[in-house]
Amino acid sequence: MMTKKKRILPEIWRARYIYLMLLPLLLWLAVFCYGPMYGVLLAFKKYNARMGILGSPWVGLANFRRIFITPAAMAAIKNTLIISMGRLVTGFPAPILLALLFTEMPGVRMKKVYQTVFTFPHFLSWVVVGNIIINFMSDGGAINAMLRGAGLEKVNFLTSPAIFRPLLYLTGIWKEVGWSSIIYMAAIAGIDTTLYDAARVDGATRLRQIWHVTLPGIKTTIVIMLILQIGGIMNAGFDQIFNMQNPMVKSVSQILDTYVYDITFLSAPDYGFSTAVGLFKAVINFILLILANKVVYKLSGERMFG
Amino acid sequence: MRTGKRHKWTGFEIFSTVTLSILLLLIVIPFWNAVVISLETPAAYSQKPFSWLPGEFTLDNYKFLFFKNGAVLLTAYRTTILVTAAGTLLGMTVMVMAAYAFSRKFPGKKLLFFAMVFTMFFGGGLIPTYLQIRRMGMLDTYSILVLLGMISTYNIIIMKNGFESVPVDLQDAAMIDGANDLTIFGRVMLPLQKPLIATFSLFLAVGYWNSWYWPMLLLQSGDKTVLQMFLRSVVNSVGARADSVVSEVAKTDSFPQGVKMAAVFAVMLPVMVVYPFLQKYFTKGILVGAVKM
Repeated sequence: MMTKKKRILPEIWRARYIYLMLLPLLLWLAVFCYGPMYGVLLAFKKYNARMGILGSPWVGLANFRRIFITPAAMAAIKNTLIISMGRLVTGFPAPILLALLFTEMPGVRMKKVYQTVFTFPHFLSWVVVGNIIINFMSDGGAINAMLRGAGLEKVNFLTSPAIFRPLLYLTGIWKEVGWSSIIYMAAIAGIDTTLYDAARVDGATRLRQIWHVTLPGIKTTIVIMLILQIGGIMNAGFDQIFNMQNPMVKSVSQILDTYVYDITFLSAPDYGFSTAVGLFKAVINFILLILANKVVYKLSGERMFG
Repeated sequence: MRTGKRHKWTGFEIFSTVTLSILLLLIVIPFWNAVVISLETPAAYSQKPFSWLPGEFTLDNYKFLFFKNGAVLLTAYRTTILVTAAGTLLGMTVMVMAAYAFSRKFPGKKLLFFAMVFTMFFGGGLIPTYLQIRRMGMLDTYSILVLLGMISTYNIIIMKNGFESVPVDLQDAAMIDGANDLTIFGRVMLPLQKPLIATFSLFLAVGYWNSWYWPMLLLQSGDKTVLQMFLRSVVNSVGARADSVVSEVAKTDSFPQGVKMAAVFAVMLPVMVVYPFLQKYFTKGILVGAVKM
């Protein structure tokens, strides 16, 4: 024990500047991550502002039970799952397809220009993008003007419950597909080109080359992105929905995050319940992340961690 | 490689180029539409909501935006620029130091690294964070906006990988010359990582520029605002009080939708200006390294 201590102390002393450099980060983590983490206790309490987090009375799992007997909360869970699944089915393959199209396109210069345009919306907030989309798709907006010009009926894209969810998927892709595809393009660029030469010698068509060389070559990337997306299923896209939602479509787009916002900031808040909903969400996401990692590993031999 | 021959287009190339060109138009047109509307008169707009060029050109929408909301808009620009600049500087300093520290060996590294990574997957959540800020008495301050947005664990890990890719010999050589960790960091490592640091600074800056949710929750007194909040309030006020605004607006050639789009453009413009600098960096490498962490 003594000898070990003797060895470790000089080592710590030698690394003193390293600790010094880490200190600001550790402070930040303590204040903004670990500090609030103890506030998670609220999920098991009936919050009383005067008594504070620690002083408020325990209520066990009552807040969690309340999630399952509150129709609005259950509706929000349902919408969250539906919208996330919709995004998974439509939004997940989109950047892969875009990356494949990009690699087929000739001309380095032209590619750069296209890529610049495709990636741009990613760097704007949903406040900006939401307004651009609302302007474009509203009743009196450009799309409906074009429909009218073509002699077609007007479509209430923004206020029709049947259309609003697909609209969320589509505009979500519109904003993020260029950015998400970069990672796949980088993966494709990393594939050994001799594999393509070999495939060509074997007489493989371009389509077969994509199927047998490109896709297997980016499998790891696809798997990691899939696991990450599954681990985020309980986040159905708060920023986008908050900025595009209107009362007419609230019933199909009230997700857990917008629900928590409403009950916390628009009505008399019950911090205990709100925290419980947030914790419930985070725990499900975490479990899904672990599960997805396990299942995908079983199926494909690839995984992100573990 | 340049050969004298003209490029011979295969069917696949034609297909992908055509498809991508259509998609490109789908991305550009809504932006273009917004800009055109912000530059035209209500008469031109109601006649043709979509035109390639302003039906009847006017700057009245921008004039209305700047004169009616001039003071608020100025505050919003000033605070957003300040928060962005302070946050980016502070955040990058803390993150780069931490990234370098984690690229070295020292007792307790595993534990501290885990403590950091853990926060990527698990956090207190909205309300506990809000209560923590309230406890610290930092509601309704700009400083909390600077502090909240400054760290991305993900970026620290990628920068750590960047530092680790520098050959150890280089550091050892400096060590023998009597340099300590601080001088190695400042003299050897930082200059080598300039591109990476530039990239992340720009990402971080864009993040600050675009943040609206925490500002909306935290800046509660009416006189504090940031650009994204300003945009939201312009849209809401012009939309909700359509009649009164229209009558007020009718004196000039501005109109609600035009003013909204002018506001969108005013908020978006700075991002458009820095965007080419961003774009230069992010194409290769960084992101792949990120995924393979």
